[in-house]
Amino acid sequence: MVRSLKTYAVLWLPAGLLALALAPLVADPYQLHILILILMSATMALSWDLLVRTGQLSLAHAGFFGLGAYAAALTYSQLGFNWWLSFLAAALAGGLAALGLGMITLRLHGMYFAIATLAFAEVLRTLTLQINFTGGAVGVTLPAIFGGSRVAAYFLVAVIFLICVLTSVLLQRSRWGLAFQAIRARQSVAEVLGVNTIKTKLAAFVISSIFPSLVGAFYIHYVTYIIPYEAFSLNTSVSALVMAVFGGIYSTAGPVIGAVVLKVLEEYLKSVIVYGYTVIYGLILALVILFMPNGLLGVMRRAAGSGRAKQVFRWAGGRKRAETPD
Amino acid sequence: MEVFFQALVNGLLRSGLYALTSIGLALSVGVLGIVNFAHGEFLMLGAYLGVFLFLLFGLDPLLSLPLAALVLFLLGMLLYRCTIKYVLDAPEINQMLLTFGISVFLQNLALILWSGDPRAINSTYRSVTLHFAGVNAGMGRFLTFVIAFSLIIALYLVLTRTRAGKAMRAVSQSRDGAGLVGIKVQKVYLYTFGVSAALAGMAGVMLSMVLYAQPAVGLEFTLKAFCIVVMAGLGNIGGVIWASLLLGVTESIVGTFIPQGSGWSDGVFFILILAVLIFRSRGVGQWFAH
Repeated sequence: MVRSLKTYAVLWLPAGLLALALAPLVADPYQLHILILILMSATMALSWDLLVRTGQLSLAHAGFFGLGAYAAALTYSQLGFNWWLSFLAAALAGGLAALGLGMITLRLHGMYFAIATLAFAEVLRTLTLQINFTGGAVGVTLPAIFGGSRVAAYFLVAVIFLICVLTSVLLQRSRWGLAFQAIRARQSVAEVLGVNTIKTKLAAFVISSIFPSLVGAFYIHYVTYIIPYEAFSLNTSVSALVMAVFGGIYSTAGPVIGAVVLKVLEEYLKSVIVYGYTVIYGLILALVILFMPNGLLGVMRRAAGSGRAKQVFRWAGGRKRAETPD
Repeated sequence: MEVFFQALVNGLLRSGLYALTSIGLALSVGVLGIVNFAHGEFLMLGAYLGVFLFLLFGLDPLLSLPLAALVLFLLGMLLYRCTIKYVLDAPEINQMLLTFGISVFLQNLALILWSGDPRAINSTYRSVTLHFAGVNAGMGRFLTFVIAFSLIIALYLVLTRTRAGKAMRAVSQSRDGAGLVGIKVQKVYLYTFGVSAALAGMAGVMLSMVLYAQPAVGLEFTLKAFCIVVMAGLGNIGGVIWASLLLGVTESIVGTFIPQGSGWSDGVFFILILAVLIFRSRGVGQWFAH
């Protein structure tokens, strides 16, 4: 168990970075592939958590994932962008879409936002199937990125993941993190305390949506081919949010831990249950909300129990107690 | 012009199922204050129940309606007792995550058990067509429309004329106030959730009678029902009817007059949601602003 904030930063961060950097040396191609999938999932889960910290439930992660994938694929193949410009286009598409959707929905009560985001992701698929330049139901195909080098692809997704972790940690430690927490606890109080709640939520939504778009862009470059049903699959949103909730929301470590555990489990389960393995995610989500709403981190914190451990968890962004209801 | 009237009639007939599903959702959201993402799954289960009763026992879908209502009523109450009850005081996000998890679970369970292939009830209601003034209507669709609106009228009478209905309305207005005057709030919640599920279940049976049952159909109806409830403003039964008619007719007209329209009509509900959220119709946001 980590003993203090200092050891956490001094020991774990370099150790984690070193492990990430050295992994391609020891992993075989299949393991490397799994690692890439884990990093993608961890980025999805952690970025989803960024918005949850303001108390808003987004069900649009699949939408932004698909949007990013298509933005990258189309700018790369149709407009001749190079790979990093296509990533930029994906981030821009995701960010702008989130800005538009957020401006319409974030002024209203949280349930309208949740509904609108779910509808948004579903409608993007309908749209992609309908219009011509997206390739319709056939989808799009790209050449593999970096000439198909899996190691290079691994480092690219590792960088995206690290940017996401950095964003999360910085947000938690800044005034923004406090503002998020205040809005989540009680929006009216946050407002009185001088937080511009709508702009804060909007910023969180945009930041949280750029990452799935980047992951989507990476996915199409790495897997080289995508169809609308896969790009905008509800399962993408489901797995991202279940991983975060399972690990422990409102923290940096929780979603990452959740992603590692559940992605490994998923790879195993996919060989057992071919269709509908998402049933496990639904079950986990319902059970976690009912029996351990603070996720694995919460369980670990209760097990650790001591004052110092509490400090660490607070630093990692873990909650002290179950949220007080509005 | 004839094409237009046909589209209009098709839209009207389609709106019956929308209204029946949405009114159940409006009831549970209005009374319990919980956004139920699993509402469409009740409809999906009702649809499969209808299909299996027909395939195994040759039961007429109209006869399996009350059976489906009973089964879903019990299932809804069971779900409330075992899960929803425990998040009533939790943060709203936990409530939404729970019902979303239940929805994902049921949808994928159906996929594993019954595969993704659509299944339908091939009864005579499908083959008989009614003609009236140059406009055609399938017998099944016509019956669906009539039954759906009869059930809604019945619900309206229950809500306004009976003690149980008045208790539901009281709880939806003020949980604490209702408790203070001696209404057993927990019991009202339990029955309301059951009734809400039963209404969706009956809509499901009729769906498999005129269209088909499929695991993903629940999500589609959840979204459309949300669209309708958002349009209507919560707790407004009359509003649900008008909103259903609007959605049904708009979808039908888009599907008829726009090239490749059946694909586009699937997006109509989203445009309507956005439009309503932008203009914030009466009632939106009022009910849940604590």
